[in-house]
Amino acid sequence: MIRGRSKAIAAGALALVLAACGSTADTGAGATGAGGIKTDKGVTDTTISLGIMGDTSGVFKNLGAAINAGNQLWVDDVNAKGGICNRQLKLEVVDHGYKADTAKTLYPQLEPKVLGIVQLLGSPVLAALKQNLIDDNMTAAPASWSSQILNNPNIMMIGTTYDLEIVNGMAYLQQQGLIKDGDTVGHIYIDGEYGGNGLLGSKYYAGVHKLNVKEAKITSTDNDLTNIVTGFKGDGVKAIVLTTTPGQSASALAANQALALNVPVLGNNPTFDPALLKTPAAGALGNLYVAASSAPFSSETPKAAEIAAAYKAKYPGSPLNGGVDVGYVEGLVWQSVLTKACENKDLSRAGVQTALKSLNSVKTDDLVAELDYSSPGSPPTRGVYIAKVDAKAEGGLTEVAPLFTAPDVAGYKAPFQK
Amino acid sequence: MSDTLTKAPPQAPTRPWAKIIGTAVLLVVLVLLPVLVGSHVAYLKLAQYVLIGAVGGIGLTLIVGQAGQLSLAHPFFLLLGAVSYAVLAGDPAETPDLVSLHWPPMLAVIGAVIICGLVGLAFAPVAGRVRGIYLGVASLSLVFLGLWLGQSLGILTGGTGSGRPPPTFSLFGFPFSNTTPAPTIAGVAIQKQQRLWYLFLAFAVLAYVLARGAVRGRIGRAWRAVRDNEAAAAAMGVSVARIKAGAFTISSAYAGLAGVMTALWLDLVKPDENEFTGNYSLTVSIAFLAIVIIGGLGSVPGAVVGAMVVYGLQQFFLLGANEFGWFAGAQFGGLSAVILAAFIYGLAVVLVVLFEPGGAAAIGRRLAASLSRKEQR
Repeated sequence: MIRGRSKAIAAGALALVLAACGSTADTGAGATGAGGIKTDKGVTDTTISLGIMGDTSGVFKNLGAAINAGNQLWVDDVNAKGGICNRQLKLEVVDHGYKADTAKTLYPQLEPKVLGIVQLLGSPVLAALKQNLIDDNMTAAPASWSSQILNNPNIMMIGTTYDLEIVNGMAYLQQQGLIKDGDTVGHIYIDGEYGGNGLLGSKYYAGVHKLNVKEAKITSTDNDLTNIVTGFKGDGVKAIVLTTTPGQSASALAANQALALNVPVLGNNPTFDPALLKTPAAGALGNLYVAASSAPFSSETPKAAEIAAAYKAKYPGSPLNGGVDVGYVEGLVWQSVLTKACENKDLSRAGVQTALKSLNSVKTDDLVAELDYSSPGSPPTRGVYIAKVDAKAEGGLTEVAPLFTAPDVAGYKAPFQK
Repeated sequence: MSDTLTKAPPQAPTRPWAKIIGTAVLLVVLVLLPVLVGSHVAYLKLAQYVLIGAVGGIGLTLIVGQAGQLSLAHPFFLLLGAVSYAVLAGDPAETPDLVSLHWPPMLAVIGAVIICGLVGLAFAPVAGRVRGIYLGVASLSLVFLGLWLGQSLGILTGGTGSGRPPPTFSLFGFPFSNTTPAPTIAGVAIQKQQRLWYLFLAFAVLAYVLARGAVRGRIGRAWRAVRDNEAAAAAMGVSVARIKAGAFTISSAYAGLAGVMTALWLDLVKPDENEFTGNYSLTVSIAFLAIVIIGGLGSVPGAVVGAMVVYGLQQFFLLGANEFGWFAGAQFGGLSAVILAAFIYGLAVVLVVLFEPGGAAAIGRRLAASLSRKEQR
């Protein structure tokens, strides 16, 4: 009975499928809209839609919400001035909670609605969506700064990558006389895209300046780094480099103080979170230098100050961190690309790619260093902001060296640089 | 594991027409799903994801519910399956620095499933010695082993940094990727996602039919005998050690298939960066356990229902949130789709344990029984 039933069902289904079968070529040709401008997805005669794939419910929800807010502030500013290409900007926001599987489901829903992605947060998400971006020729600005993802031509990196943050940071420490050639330096890094990329930087710098780097690999859930710092003390390190989470930074800094090691500590942009200033480790954070591609929240760069004021006015009571600058500057770069694409009369996805590759000096009012997108595979800029932890500053950081570019960075070759 | 489970359904005196028609309708809907969702491919992607949960869940319900052995090692076998597929089918031209054997993809899938089964068999001596929660903890060690191996064997896994792309699946030269021109069904182009749906559906139906067969047959009776009383089972001539080892092997093979599906679904094989989050982490162990508890321990259709709740709900809410604007205004805290789905899934587990330990399967049986009683009146 069962067998007969299955056969009948299979035959029925097959008949249905065959009856409905056909073949077609994709009709993906673009249309021409207002102003004689070529368009395909996400652009109408009155609006340009851009996507956000952010995190407002997962591990980076504080940072993610601020980045979203930065994107929105940029859209408000552009629309107030009449939009781009006589079109108003519109954001389609989705929240993937920093989960690659969620993002993978949400992407096909977002994809047909938008021209490009103004913010794609999270390296696991980025890795999972790599093929989708290539298949759909979708340009995306990542909120993740590993130079290891630059083999994807659809990634529009905004600012400096983790490896170069470290090279610049170490050069700054040396310039300040805190380390010298031949010293031993410890580097604690999370195994993965983020940590691995930071490590490339310290290895390169060590090669040039004959430093001895002690590597300590951890996972992102390790909480107590005291034993590693103790080991570093035995090794006689003169500085510690961190490519870690904020909580781990606090542990390393607390150990640095408790063990009376008190060496300067250099961290990538994500190593610091202002929330650390409310933890018991607050007193030990003073040794931390943060090398970041975008300006800290309290930056005196005029544009950054303006954004900070607008953010506090529009989102009172929300967390103050550098995310809002990151979000705004992502927008500014998109603005340059869209303006260029508009000049070329091609606001299709392919047109965006063409416009992007033709830009070799994007200026962002010094929110990040000048960007050059003409050589894919190479980070678009090599300058960083260096800031020091300061409990009195808004956002917890005071900049000590705005847009610092060390001479050593010119010789560094990123993994996919040609 | 209790004795309330998997009673044979009461034999209806006549042919169960309702059931036959229901099955046929369900199959037709599943086959036509790509047409039904049309351009809303996201829902198809979600349905594929549920099938991954279903295949893995069926594997787990066999061992936990039928054979009575608590296993939390499912994510390890998922990872093993995904990596095995990528290694066996990998093209050395595309991934020159990684081990790539360039087998035909279908053979690689079979190979990956067999490898997982064999590794599961290798774990059997442990499974034969410890029981209950102790076995659960022992099997948990495999998840940590997977984390460590995934990080250290970068030449196979591609490393935690960027991972490796899984080779495109193809069958007799028909690639499961986007092509031009594409075949159509009722005007809907059958591209990569639609093709993957049919592949996953075939895998899931195969997994379902085999599991139902095993449960109803001699091997299923042996599993239940061992689960309920090992001494009694041995007295009846069941080789307890062999049956336990066999259950572990089969369950691991199912997880391996789910792992291959995960790789194809995600377009990525990448070991996790830590043990708590990721596609092969402790969270996944718990998710699979929730699938079999919500579905009803030991029930194969129940595992499918459980997969819909655990794997489907959150993403369904998220898709709905974006499409219809549910939960708007949850930017800085508040009730978001993710949080609501987590509550529902937690609540489902609690309610099932408190009020209906047989899970969705028992609810289904009760509904069916009351229906047939009405029919007879």
